[in-house]
Amino acid sequence: MALFPLSSNFEGDFVLQLLPVDTEHTMDEVAAAAAHHSVGRRVRARPGHILRIRRQGSDEFLPRTMKVSEAGFKPTETIEIIWEASKH
Amino acid sequence: MALLNRMDWYEIARTTNWSPKYVTEQELFPVEMAGDYGLPQEAWEKYDEPYKQTYPEYVKVQREKDAGAYSVKAALERSKIFENSDPGWKSVIKSHYGALARLEYAAATAEARMMRFSKAPGMRNMATLGCLDEMRHGQIQLYFPHEHVSKDRQMDWAHKAIDTNQWAMIAARHFFDDIMMTRDAISVSIMLTFSFETGFTNMQFLGLAADAAEAGDHTFASLISSIQTDESRHAQIGGPALQVLIENGKKADAQKKVDIAFWRAWKLFSVLTGPVMDYYTPLEHRKQSFKEFMEEFIVAQFERALTDLGLDLPWYWDHFLEQLSEQHHGMHLGSYFWRPTMFWNPAAGVTPAEREWLEEKYPGWNDTWGECWDVIIDNMVEDNMAMTYPETLPMVCNMCNLPINYTPGKKWNVKDFPLEYKGRLYHFGSEQDRWCFEQEPERYAGHLSLVDRFLAGMIQPMDLGGALNYMGLAPGEIGDDAHNYAWSEIYKAMRAEKKAS
Repeated sequence: MALFPLSSNFEGDFVLQLLPVDTEHTMDEVAAAAAHHSVGRRVRARPGHILRIRRQGSDEFLPRTMKVSEAGFKPTETIEIIWEASKH
Repeated sequence: MALLNRMDWYEIARTTNWSPKYVTEQELFPVEMAGDYGLPQEAWEKYDEPYKQTYPEYVKVQREKDAGAYSVKAALERSKIFENSDPGWKSVIKSHYGALARLEYAAATAEARMMRFSKAPGMRNMATLGCLDEMRHGQIQLYFPHEHVSKDRQMDWAHKAIDTNQWAMIAARHFFDDIMMTRDAISVSIMLTFSFETGFTNMQFLGLAADAAEAGDHTFASLISSIQTDESRHAQIGGPALQVLIENGKKADAQKKVDIAFWRAWKLFSVLTGPVMDYYTPLEHRKQSFKEFMEEFIVAQFERALTDLGLDLPWYWDHFLEQLSEQHHGMHLGSYFWRPTMFWNPAAGVTPAEREWLEEKYPGWNDTWGECWDVIIDNMVEDNMAMTYPETLPMVCNMCNLPINYTPGKKWNVKDFPLEYKGRLYHFGSEQDRWCFEQEPERYAGHLSLVDRFLAGMIQPMDLGGALNYMGLAPGEIGDDAHNYAWSEIYKAMRAEKKAS
């Protein structure tokens, strides 16, 4: 377990933000941590959606259960947090 | 005794180049200070300054200018204009003084470098007067705000700001250190006087003078009009230097310096001047939008200045023109949301009437920045104020040192422009910021942005209190909404009306 800094680029928000996470956090937990700094502050919640993580420039979402330590992020690397319509 | 006309003796008197016998030319003009353009002194002697002014003429005119500005101040000192002015307007003058007053003194050093180390005699003469100009600007812009320090502690930042690690001041220092404090004399003439002063200073001073007069602040209007007359003279130091470089096959080098300085100046103005014109200035006093002003006074004039010299438009010109409608809205939203970190009180500027104006001037504003403001306003209406503040830092560009932001909402296109250099990951707010870094990485690589400092443990404790302490913001100086949220009452009333119906 270790503190790990990322840069959050949250869909619909206007600014990149410093996002401290833990190396043991899953991508769902990273998304929730990012949402804390954007949703309800400058971005409206979107009912019926979940949040997914991808690297900047990639179209592929990282698996929701993948841990930060497994993702190979560089410290302060920018991740995009994207709204995805729930499947059910 | 009859005096000769100026033009009968000016050129002889100011042609002061000579062939040094006791030292080498390189010792007289060290490369670090004079630049290394491979041009002989004779090439620089062709430098033809557009303003030919002598020292006695200069002193006479400057004395009159000072007498005029100080008289207006003296006459209006008991007028209560400051006390009675809109809080948004007070924020305008606080940001102006804090960002510029002491940097004017720094600019005197830059002018002094041209005065001593330029190989062009005409430049040395103009820069002598320019150096005196900048001292005057430093003095007058510290003296004028001083009368308000006892009424409002944030006014003390006219003197204090430059010595602090407040984020906008880190950005301003990084920019001015780059273009005027750490460059050779010729580069200073290109980057400070041509790119920054010809390009942008006009706007700060002309635009604000118009807004100040509208707002009834005649002291401030006369002060900055007085300064502007100096700027319009010494801003012309760079043009003839560019001409010499272009005529001697150095266009590429000259162009690159223009492109770097212009971009960097634009970013700084997008945070300092954009919000002032489009959000802080009371709606009824706005003459033009920031974009309209930029298009009239910057784009048209600067394009003409470049083409007259035979230079190209900067390679990013189209993108710059697009940014005129976009970048400063995010800079404003950011400085408002992180308002405790400001040394002035940002005016939100988003009442329904102001939003209508923004939508008219910037079609699509409500679907983009407006969407973020809607959430902030809802929180205010519901007295959920904690959610109108941040709990983390914005990521900051390693070139402009400003938050990395762009357009939100329905046109969301925010993006990082990263670069790995010698094992360190840098973040940039645009392709142009990253390009500036790539031109001379070692020049910039060692600098730590506010976020880098935070992650390095230099800001303790690692929370808002620690950050404010690091930035030098004492109680009574910490920024808050300029109108104490009175504007949000309109939305509360609208909500109540809607519920009632």
